[in-house]
Formats: sequence, C-alpha cells, structure tokens
Amino acid sequence: MTIQNDPERNESKHLHTLADFRNKRVLEVGCGEGRLTWQYAKEAQLTVGIDTDTDALRVAEVDRASDLEHKVLFTAAASEYLPFSKETFDIAVLAWSL
Amino acid sequence: MVHALNEIRRVLIPDGILIDIRPLMDRWQVEVTSMREIRQTGRVQDFPVGLADDEAANRAIVQASENGWFSRDRQEFFSYSYSWDTPAEMEEWIDTEWEDFVALEEETKQATRSAWALGDADARVRLQVKMLIARWNVLKDR
Repeated sequence: MTIQNDPERNESKHLHTLADFRNKRVLEVGCGEGRLTWQYAKEAQLTVGIDTDTDALRVAEVDRASDLEHKVLFTAAASEYLPFSKETFDIAVLAWSL
Repeated sequence: MVHALNEIRRVLIPDGILIDIRPLMDRWQVEVTSMREIRQTGRVQDFPVGLADDEAANRAIVQASENGWFSRDRQEFFSYSYSWDTPAEMEEWIDTEWEDFVALEEETKQATRSAWALGDADARVRLQVKMLIARWNVLKDR
C-alpha cells in the first residue's frame, strides 16, 4: 500500500511557526515511531520522546539517524508519571496525544 | 489527562511552552485529486468515541488553564492530508487503522470509486484531516 502523509508539510510548517526549537530541551509526549520528532530534533539541543508503546519506540530508535544518537532519546513512560526532575525541559509537545 | 498536564507543567521551566497538536473529528473531506483537478466525493462518518475523545481533551486543557497552570498564547487550524493510490487502499486503511473512530458510508465509497475510475491517469484518493495546534505558556512562580 502506498500512502503519503502530509506531502505539503503543513504540520512541520505550523509546528515551527509556533515554536523555536533551536538549542531547546524538548519533551515529546506520545512520540510513537518518531514521525513528528524527526521534523525538529536536529535543531533542538536535546529531545526526549516518551510513549507507552514499546514496539513504536523500537521503530523510533532504529530510525534515529546516527548524528542524533546523543541528542534524541526515547523511553517508555506514561505522561501521568514523568520520570524527570522538575524544570528539565524548555518545550513539551503533546504529539497527537492529549 | 489533567494529571498528565500537571506533570508536564512540573518538568517545564518557568518560561516553558506546551505545544498541543492533534487531529479533530470534523467529518474529514474525501477527495479524488490529480494534477488537473480536485473532486470532493464525500465526508467520513465520525463515531461517538472519537468525538468524546476530543471533548475530553478539550475539557482537560481548559481545566489546566482554569487551574492557573497554562495560558493559551496562540491557536491555529490546518489540514493534514493522507493520500493513497486507489480507493481500495483508503478503504482498507480506514477499516484497519481507524475503525474505532471513523467509517465511510457506502455512498461516499461509490462516489470516490467512480471519480477515481473516471479520473486522470495520475488520480489519487485523499483525506483531509482537520488539525489543531496550540501554544500554551506555562504559569508558575519563579
């Protein structure tokens, strides 16, 4: 099956209109396979993607480019109990997950 | 959801921002497209569970705002399109991936199949999903 998602890149355009990711620490809640993550992660200082779907997280890790290994991390976690200290992130993205 | 928003607030810095990006149920438009033309063939049917999910999400973010955790700074809507080579592929996708949320009425299926069959050689089938993106500023004492 050949499916194209958002060939106009509207999602990325609007995301970058509302947020400047440059040198920011970003938490992405509901990152899934990282489809949205790859649209901004190169600009960010650090990106942490969380999801409860461990299969999706494995796909995200496999898809992660080698130059992003140290600045994009994925971990299994639920948004109700975030395993991070207070005031760790500059930006939080609810990625189709609220 | 409200508890999750409080958790997110906890891990954000005082000047932090929250981006909420998600699809909204809105009887998404079905189209047959080619380089030459776009033909609208109908809309999907929304199921109550999807509408209830939207309402719950909206209630949660309003509650978080009323609690003084976040202040809405900006909100926009845009289209996010999915497109397939054939109507059969779209129907299969909806039946397997979105079966809990939306469905295609028979009339829309037939109209889409006809428009595609009679369309140009490069005709594809497209679904226009309505998207919300909102930026919220975190509110907390320094």
